Amino acid sequence: MKTIIQNIIALALPLWGLGGLSSHAQVGQPYIHDPSTLAECEGKYYTFGTGGGGLISEDGWTWKSGAVRPGGGAAPDVLKINDRYLVIYGATGGGLGGGHSGRILTMWNKTLDPNSPKFKYTDPIEVAASDGMEDSDAIDPGLLLDPTTGRLWVCYGTYFGNIRLIELDPKTGKRVAGNEPLDIAIDCEATDLIYRDGWYYLLGTHGTCCDGVNSTYNIVVGRSRQVTGPYLDNVGRDMFHGGGKMVIAAGDRVCGPGHFGRTIIDEGVEVMSCHYEADFDQGGRSVLGIRPLLWRNGWPVAGDRFKEGTYEIESERRGYALELAVDFVRMKQERQAWFRQEELQKPVVPVENQKLEEVVDTWPKGDIPARIGDYMFRPHQRWSITAVPDAGGYLSNPYYKITIEGTERALAATDKKEVTTVPTFTGADEQLWRIEQLTDGTFRIMPKSIPGKKGINTRYVLYSAGDSTPTLAEWDFHSDNSKWNFRQH
Amino acid sequence: MQMRKTIFTTLLLTAIGATAQNPVIRHLYTADPTARVFEGRVYLYPSHDIQPPEGQRQDWFCMEDYHVFSSENLTDWKDHGVIITQNEVPWVQPDSYSMWAPDCVCKDGKYYFYFPAAPKGGRGFGVGVATADHPEGPFTCEATLIKGVSGIDPCVLVDDDGSAYIYWSGMGLRGAKLKGNMKELDGELTTMKMPGAPEGAPAMMVGGQAMEGLPDGFKEGPYAFKRDGWYYLTFPWVRGDTSNGANPTETLAYAMSKSPLGPWDFKGIIMAEHENGCWTNHHSITEYKGQWYLFYHHNDLSPQDDKRRSVCIDKIAFNADGTIQEVKPTLRGVGINKATEKIEIDRLSTASVGVSTEYVDKENPSLGSCVNLPQKGSWMQYNDVDFSGMNNAYLIVSAKADANTEFCVREKSAKGKILARVKMVVVNEQGRFRRDMSGQWMTLTAPLTYIPRGVTDVVLTCEDKAVSIDWVQFKNRETYFTPATASPSTPDEQGFIRRWMLLEPIEKPNPSNVVFVDSYLRDAFSKEYFKGQFTTLPKDGQKVKVEKQTLTWHAVESNRYNVKLFRFADQLDKQVYGVLFWAVTVIDCEEEMQDVRLAVGSNSASMWWLNGEEALLLSGDRRMVEDDGMSPRLTLKKGRNILRGAIINGPGMSDFCVRFLNEKGQPIKNLTINHQ
Repeated sequence: MKTIIQNIIALALPLWGLGGLSSHAQVGQPYIHDPSTLAECEGKYYTFGTGGGGLISEDGWTWKSGAVRPGGGAAPDVLKINDRYLVIYGATGGGLGGGHSGRILTMWNKTLDPNSPKFKYTDPIEVAASDGMEDSDAIDPGLLLDPTTGRLWVCYGTYFGNIRLIELDPKTGKRVAGNEPLDIAIDCEATDLIYRDGWYYLLGTHGTCCDGVNSTYNIVVGRSRQVTGPYLDNVGRDMFHGGGKMVIAAGDRVCGPGHFGRTIIDEGVEVMSCHYEADFDQGGRSVLGIRPLLWRNGWPVAGDRFKEGTYEIESERRGYALELAVDFVRMKQERQAWFRQEELQKPVVPVENQKLEEVVDTWPKGDIPARIGDYMFRPHQRWSITAVPDAGGYLSNPYYKITIEGTERALAATDKKEVTTVPTFTGADEQLWRIEQLTDGTFRIMPKSIPGKKGINTRYVLYSAGDSTPTLAEWDFHSDNSKWNFRQH
Repeated sequence: MQMRKTIFTTLLLTAIGATAQNPVIRHLYTADPTARVFEGRVYLYPSHDIQPPEGQRQDWFCMEDYHVFSSENLTDWKDHGVIITQNEVPWVQPDSYSMWAPDCVCKDGKYYFYFPAAPKGGRGFGVGVATADHPEGPFTCEATLIKGVSGIDPCVLVDDDGSAYIYWSGMGLRGAKLKGNMKELDGELTTMKMPGAPEGAPAMMVGGQAMEGLPDGFKEGPYAFKRDGWYYLTFPWVRGDTSNGANPTETLAYAMSKSPLGPWDFKGIIMAEHENGCWTNHHSITEYKGQWYLFYHHNDLSPQDDKRRSVCIDKIAFNADGTIQEVKPTLRGVGINKATEKIEIDRLSTASVGVSTEYVDKENPSLGSCVNLPQKGSWMQYNDVDFSGMNNAYLIVSAKADANTEFCVREKSAKGKILARVKMVVVNEQGRFRRDMSGQWMTLTAPLTYIPRGVTDVVLTCEDKAVSIDWVQFKNRETYFTPATASPSTPDEQGFIRRWMLLEPIEKPNPSNVVFVDSYLRDAFSKEYFKGQFTTLPKDGQKVKVEKQTLTWHAVESNRYNVKLFRFADQLDKQVYGVLFWAVTVIDCEEEMQDVRLAVGSNSASMWWLNGEEALLLSGDRRMVEDDGMSPRLTLKKGRNILRGAIINGPGMSDFCVRFLNEKGQPIKNLTINHQ
């Protein structure tokens, strides 16, 4: 009976969180369509959308309108080149109004902060156009500064004709003289180019746009060894023949992801930005979405938003579980005699899990250090992870508390850069945890702050100092000591 | 430093600019153009204005070197780079930035470049000479300047008998015979006192003679040439009255004579003062390929600064008596525009009264200008547009109007043959796409109903309310289909079937593709629109009646792997959105093929039948993706198989791609495809 009650509580948790905490998109007023790749400027995040303007966020999690981009039109992108920001956008609506004559313009700004005295856009320069008759729709530009060559590329276009590739001069933002557009894909919109590990990736948006909760918008990808293509999908099909491998589609009460943008937070920590045509939890509005970006066999795929729940926190190093450093309490079980004939006749009775109340009194009352040990799904190994209201967040998620299931005992960072648990969660920054899915699918877990250290922690992560010993140490994507898995089993 | 200079020069060597309009050189400021025809090309020797460096007078002329340019068509100009720079000339005062108007002539296969500059330690200006074996150099400078030529703006005339004369500006216009070596004056020098020279300053040795018969008023920049037995001395001249402290600007004027050094008979004006107040003008007159041209300068690229100038060209004509017809400077210039270029048509050749030009954006002059046609009947002409290679073309035009209007592009005159008629819908208050684009720039297209041959003049005429035009361009349409031939075809390398009988679109109004659910499609595709829809094999050109529409079947070969139905309809001037297409093709097999699949991608939904049996339905708001949907395993009969498809589309481009795949997913190519 108790088990049932616990289950009900567990089920109720996500419902309690519906006020925005377990939202599947960013929070605040993140209303936008065709968000540009996220740009960081003087400690804030910016993204620009269709129709002018855009969003600003202090922490990447809570967004509000306020970014300023003149020129209106559709689907901008932004890229920092040296100490300036290059903004590119389609000056026209792309078929809005019935025509497909479009113009793509670039302009520079030294800052994205509209309150800065340095904030001033240069005069826009036309870099591409479509005449309305040709197989091209000059809107929806995406920028790539090729890290191997320093050359600046733009892909653009919609379903009306071909996706085209042009080259700009990264010093001026102007079209390279004599550069002719190259057709690289069909049947995409809101495309973007990225480069990783010897491959160029063309990300396009497929499906039905602008139909709210019925929009089937989704993001697909093809890749090429040359920026000029051909961009082939996972079955070798050219994006010029409509090919594309899914990166992100509907799910988790959001639908219609479109307009990809990649942001690298740290080595091995990446996110993708997009808009959802409809966030069912935010009234079906078009909102900004940021999701972990995973790389599987050389293909990008969106990770899921982290879900609150009760988990084993498994070390990638050894496969052991994060636990309280308390006595292992043996469970009672009658001696097994299944090989006897008369025993085979008896009904099989399931063994119940060890329960919190059976062991909690054996635990010390004060702080209990954390340890890593064999996972036996015992209460001291089961962690409830819950978003903390009003504690802010970062690009991927809100901050979480990590507590032993059924208790308020919370994981916390210490001033010695170790991890312990405190008997009661107080909301202190060292008890707030940032959880990010890594490009390989594992996670890093880091405290919002370390006592005695100023500011928000962005370096120290939960770390396997030994197979059995957790600590906090500097993030290293190349070490499994830095990585964890959340398992429900 | 030397290294840097070398790199700079190398880069410039490759600079090629194309502009059919004035000014002709746009990457540098250029002034005082002397144009000469050498080896069948026009070589341009201008002075090179620069922004004064720090320490130099900012509001004065500043010139440190010479470039030479050449062109074969007066449109594409090659910059050959720097030929002479001030600090490498032995006699020139270093950093004097005084490399003013030059000239270059050819005699006996050798090129002589004459240029003025401030001499070392001297006063005023001297003139030196440099020689080369090629018109673009490399030039070797003489160590000293030409004795007796104290002044600026040298010009040399090589007469038919090989005699050469030099003209310059210094205490009026002077002229002298050159020795055979082209580097010395032929004749005695006389002692003259420089006007305004301080007491006790050494007298100057001056050669040649003053040019007589010229009017009073400031003169400089002599350019002498010979035509039909007449010698012409042409020169910038201030004709305005300066007595009241006014500062009138220069005209270009000329005088004629039967002998090279005059006396001269003054004839009048070649070009009036620049309207915007640009103080100087300086020029040359050259015949090239049977046409005479006036090269001059203007400050069009730096309207606020008339010490930074740019070379322009316009045609010039002579009367029967040898006198010169006055030239009105144009922004159009003399180059030939390819019709496929984006032509800034506001730099017009001529226009009707009331037509004006203005900046597209007053705040941003770099966006250029537009032309305003204020009322019905207004027109403007733009000369020399080359339509070679144009066929099945269309017009692209950037235009702006306050109300719905209409304008035409015509050939040669305001009543000329119409190339394209543009109906400009600025305000549309009906239908799905309501808009108000009044006062905003729109890019419009219109098919060309007539395509001129070769080079001709284009005239824009306003046929209704006022309209402004920024630029025009002509483009050939892409070719998506060719008519199917009688001989059978085969699938392409990837197995796609490109030969089809396509029926002109049946109207099927759908404002969105989201209605294409399975049940809707089964209903839409099972309806009989025309007789024999599922049974008969249409013939090329055959007509069918669908309610009020009479539609024709077309036998086509797609030039692409996919069949672009949008383009099929568009090029027949048929409805492109809210339509249903029927497609039929005939596939011949030598042997029966079992377990093949029909692989289809379509935009939007489609349904396919093989030999009358349903093979595949692709539903929904669908984009065309190769191998999107597959039929169940089918059998292609030995002999003739009939494949039929129906494709439905609301808004957006419609197309399909079809092929057969075998059990392993490989394309089947050993098929023969007919349309009958």
